[in-house]
Amino acid sequence: MKMSICALPVIAGLAIAPLGLGGYELSVLMTILFYVILTLGLDLVTGYCGQFSFATGAFYGIGAYTAAIMSRDLGTSIWWHLPAGALVAGSFGLLLGIPALRLTGHFLAIVTIAFQTIMYLAISQWTSFTGGQVGLHVESAGKLAVFGTTLFELGSLRSYYWLTLGVTTVCVLAAWRLVNSRLGKEWVAIRDDETLASAIGLNTTRGKLTAFVAYAALAGIAGVLTAHSLRGVTPDDFTIWISATVVAMMMLGGRGTFIGPIIGAVVLAIVPEFLGRYAEYKMLIYGTILVIGMTLVPEGVIGRLRRSASR
Amino acid sequence: MNTALLEARCLVKRFGGVTAVSGATLAVGEGQILGLIGPNGSGKSTMVNLLTGETVPDEGEIVFAGEVVTRLPSYRRARLGMARSFQMLRLFGSLTVEDNLVLAGHIRMSAGVIGSALNSQSARSEEAAARTRARELLSWFELEEFASRSVTALSIGQQRMVEIARGLMSEPSMLVLDEPAAGLSPPNVDRLILLVRRLRDEFGISILLVEHVMRVVRELCDQVVVLDAGRKIAEGTPEQVVNDPLVIEAYIGSGWKRRAQA
Repeated sequence: MKMSICALPVIAGLAIAPLGLGGYELSVLMTILFYVILTLGLDLVTGYCGQFSFATGAFYGIGAYTAAIMSRDLGTSIWWHLPAGALVAGSFGLLLGIPALRLTGHFLAIVTIAFQTIMYLAISQWTSFTGGQVGLHVESAGKLAVFGTTLFELGSLRSYYWLTLGVTTVCVLAAWRLVNSRLGKEWVAIRDDETLASAIGLNTTRGKLTAFVAYAALAGIAGVLTAHSLRGVTPDDFTIWISATVVAMMMLGGRGTFIGPIIGAVVLAIVPEFLGRYAEYKMLIYGTILVIGMTLVPEGVIGRLRRSASR
Repeated sequence: MNTALLEARCLVKRFGGVTAVSGATLAVGEGQILGLIGPNGSGKSTMVNLLTGETVPDEGEIVFAGEVVTRLPSYRRARLGMARSFQMLRLFGSLTVEDNLVLAGHIRMSAGVIGSALNSQSARSEEAAARTRARELLSWFELEEFASRSVTALSIGQQRMVEIARGLMSEPSMLVLDEPAAGLSPPNVDRLILLVRRLRDEFGISILLVEHVMRVVRELCDQVVVLDAGRKIAEGTPEQVVNDPLVIEAYIGSGWKRRAQA
């Protein structure tokens, strides 16, 4: 409750931001929002349910390519792509969740890296279907009309920004509902002690699989938004570097704290913008932050603040 | 004896070259308190893990509440009415005492995951009912004042009681208690004995009691199974098994007769 009161002015501020900001600032804000959705998703599966994944980039790409391919082959609008991207990415999430039923820790992490690599190879090499290294152009379209009156139409950068902001808000609310539902509590139980969770009758199979599906679906939604905003997709937008960046964002903010990863995403997505011509070293900086952060504050910044506040 | 609620036939479990359980058989009748004892390393813990579903046996069959559960994961056995406590205390340390209980009440809720996420009316009333039940159980265990405290703030004895209360949340027909008296002070052991007896007499719960403290076994168990090196070496009333030469030999070694004569 407290959090929703804090969030309202933030969302309101973000909603009126385009009126005072230029194109560059708006595209930076949109990038931040994409990362917020990605990090939010990873926090569900890793922060709440305790299952590591380095495959965020792959699900992000699956969502984006779903939009691009649907737009090419079916000519549909973004209103179809959003649910479809969530569904397709979510199905692949279910697939990746299956090894998680048997593997834990490092072993699971390696399987997710393999999945990420296979996905990258598939989208970069299957030229006839995905356009290969060149990628695909996306003919972006989306219009909301009620009784012939157009309420909203994708076109200007602002319209993409507002759509992204709206979808991000819905994703944050949905994730908040999830982590506070019975399912969210079961995820935490699986993370804290899987044997005990099963002994008290919690379906740990269902718990893990749903966490993977929710995570992948969110990444898929972010992918659809990205494909439309950039009006195209290329394989190099969905590499393991994206996955590593999102892991760094979540860890820095504090996994399993909900707000922490969101803050981590905002901070680490802004950093490259201040690096100017040194931006190509951003992975070096993320890596350093991650190593120092994990050594000094393994529970993340927000996690540490909460712990000291509860004392 | 009444019909068996839990029955294990010829269980075998190997870990690499070690055979932890080799051909053990036991049956817990309805409303019975069955003791499972044996020296360290005799396979008691493996046996409990096999019965509760944490590990799967290499051979043999387990029947619980009329169903073959040999390969079912533990959450499925919990749904059939089996609850357990752990030798090493196991509670969710990040949760309050009450929330630990409510979580165990999830399996008695029928509103689906979607309903819960949407905060539907039925999901909310079920959640409220689980909280009420948790409060009732805590007061039955005289722990209501700790309901909203973190479980880590409780003593070992109190945490054991919370574990047993948690087991009752799912309204089980069978409770597996893995060394419940370990680490308890003598007055708390007395309380435990009274409590376990009441669980059987008032709630009609059948109990499998794995225990080292012989006083608890003597006072509570109708029947005792003794394991040694993964095999059942004796079965009978507590008095019978403690006087069984095989049992004495398992506990204090084969030289006892010679030393006793010397």
